[in-house]
Amino acid sequence: MNSAAFAHTLQSWFGVGPLWAWAALSAFLVIFLLALPFGGIATYVERKVAADIQDRVGPNRVGPYGILQFLADGVKMLAKEDFMPAGADRFLFNLAPVLVVVGACSAFAALPLGKYLVGADLNIGIFYILAVTTLIAPGILLGSWASQNKWSLLGGLRGAAQIVSYEIPVALSILPAVLISGTLQIGLIVEQQGWAWSAEGLQQYHFWNGFHNPFTFIAMFLLFIGGLAETNRIPFDLPEAESELVSGFNTEFSGMRFGLYALAEFCDVFVMSAVVTALYLGGWHIPFVNIEGLGVTLPQGLVVLIQFGVFLVKTLILVFVVMWLRWTLPRLRVDQLMGLCWKGLTPLALLNLLGTALWMWIFKGQSLAQLIYGAFA
Amino acid sequence: MSLIDWATGLHGYLFIGAMLFVLGIIGILSRKNAIGILLGIELVLNAAGINFVAFSKYRTAMVEGQVVTLFIILIAAAEAAVALAIILRFYRLKQTIDAGEANLLRN
Amino acid sequence: MKLVLFLSELLTVASAFVVALHPNVLYASIFLLFTFLGVAVMFVFAGADFIAGAQVVVYVGGVTILILFAIMLTQWLYQMRLRDVGNKLVVPIAVIGLGLVPFLYKGLHQLADFVSKAPPPNLAAFSGSPKTTAIGEALLSSYLLPFEGITILLLGALVGAVWLARPK
Repeated sequence: MNSAAFAHTLQSWFGVGPLWAWAALSAFLVIFLLALPFGGIATYVERKVAADIQDRVGPNRVGPYGILQFLADGVKMLAKEDFMPAGADRFLFNLAPVLVVVGACSAFAALPLGKYLVGADLNIGIFYILAVTTLIAPGILLGSWASQNKWSLLGGLRGAAQIVSYEIPVALSILPAVLISGTLQIGLIVEQQGWAWSAEGLQQYHFWNGFHNPFTFIAMFLLFIGGLAETNRIPFDLPEAESELVSGFNTEFSGMRFGLYALAEFCDVFVMSAVVTALYLGGWHIPFVNIEGLGVTLPQGLVVLIQFGVFLVKTLILVFVVMWLRWTLPRLRVDQLMGLCWKGLTPLALLNLLGTALWMWIFKGQSLAQLIYGAFA
Repeated sequence: MSLIDWATGLHGYLFIGAMLFVLGIIGILSRKNAIGILLGIELVLNAAGINFVAFSKYRTAMVEGQVVTLFIILIAAAEAAVALAIILRFYRLKQTIDAGEANLLRN
Repeated sequence: MKLVLFLSELLTVASAFVVALHPNVLYASIFLLFTFLGVAVMFVFAGADFIAGAQVVVYVGGVTILILFAIMLTQWLYQMRLRDVGNKLVVPIAVIGLGLVPFLYKGLHQLADFVSKAPPPNLAAFSGSPKTTAIGEALLSSYLLPFEGITILLLGALVGAVWLARPK
């Protein structure tokens, strides 16, 4: 089958060079042009969003509207003294931020940024993303231990327990989308969410997975909530709570190490939002429009750009919602947090999975939209 | 055959499996910490998994070996959970997890 | 491509050495994490893509966290010190164990040569083909009994672990 991989696309455009070189270049582009700039700009956007919600101005000194604030923050972090607490474990103290960043940024390789822009359209795409983001938990745990600080250790233990517990509703909420598409391959899951008109009317693809049946609608929200908990965002951010644990597990990390933790957190937020977008909100599909089925044949570069733009817009809307929630909702206590996961989200996610399976069996895999269209057509 | 061909073919997989197994046994025999012994057990189970996957590819080219490896992974996880629960209980009793201290049944 | 597999094999064996021989049990469990990652890469090259993902999710995301939690809850937590006493017998055991490896190697080499003489017909296509569907079908047809048995085993392990570790 035609590979949708970024490297193959680049190779077909330029025609020269071995495939592994294009793969390395596409990895470089995705990480350094998407993940890292997003991590930096997200810190600025978060502060502006916070300022808006709290009815104040926010950073506005560095550059027009304060837009270069993230560069100033970066320079500040790089220039800070790199110290380590007295009894801290050198190796673990250095290793922990690395694990967290590797876990968060490796997931970018499998995100479906566009039809021909998947870094690596793996057969086990969504499973790979789930697997690689579990590397964050040992990173947090080791960082909190290596700090030689009781409060850091408590924050780290809570953080790791939270991440491991909420992986279950997240995995169970990913499954309805996999059930509908019959494959773990993210490129195919997104492709099947298109709404394609042809001369005979609606083609066989169903609309976005989130609106496929009522159970996937709920699963979409469960995945979003689970993603909030996985990335330690409010209302689940007790591990790094500012007012409770003196910044929790990253108390003793300063300068660029703390910068790595913050970068990994924002990258993880992007990955989780991208997963929700790709699985339930149609990925790079424009609603009701099939770009490649229009009368004119657009150049492939334009198509790629439009699809990437659509994906980015949807993901950034979800990231904005994540930031909005941070300044709106209070923080959950740790027993409420765990109770919500084990007694609330996990049974609900199981029921969603069962409901989706029943729907697929009864209605032979057709979505609500297809049923309604079939009833009126 | 060259080193890389040897290491990336069936020979390499079997040798790595054997090395992990031997190192796991060394870990089990030589560690006093109960959790250290558990680490050795995990190495042994991984070695068995590598063997199954290697033969699944090079001998049968069918998926059955991988199904067994999946079972090994699941059983190892269950066993690690129970073993660690026992270790926690033991720590509550004796305030240590030295394997030599588990001698309550000795007369 | 083969270089990646070779490096991951080196990583796996080197980490396993640290796991078996390092006196500090926390370092040993971290290098166990690296061993698991190396084994997952080896699985990918042997055509076991789904198993590699399962390895990372279950072992790295589950067993490693479990072991780290147990270490932190049982090792003089409030003194924050982690010096493992170690065993006097480490060196003799390691020497004997590693001394057996050349004999193992000879036998394994003969076995691998014997098996490689009759490769299965679809060996070349096996590595690249997706295995998830095949594993799912096998689990629900030929291997249904072990599958159900494992679900009961996991249930028993879950209940047992919670009961054993209950607060007083």
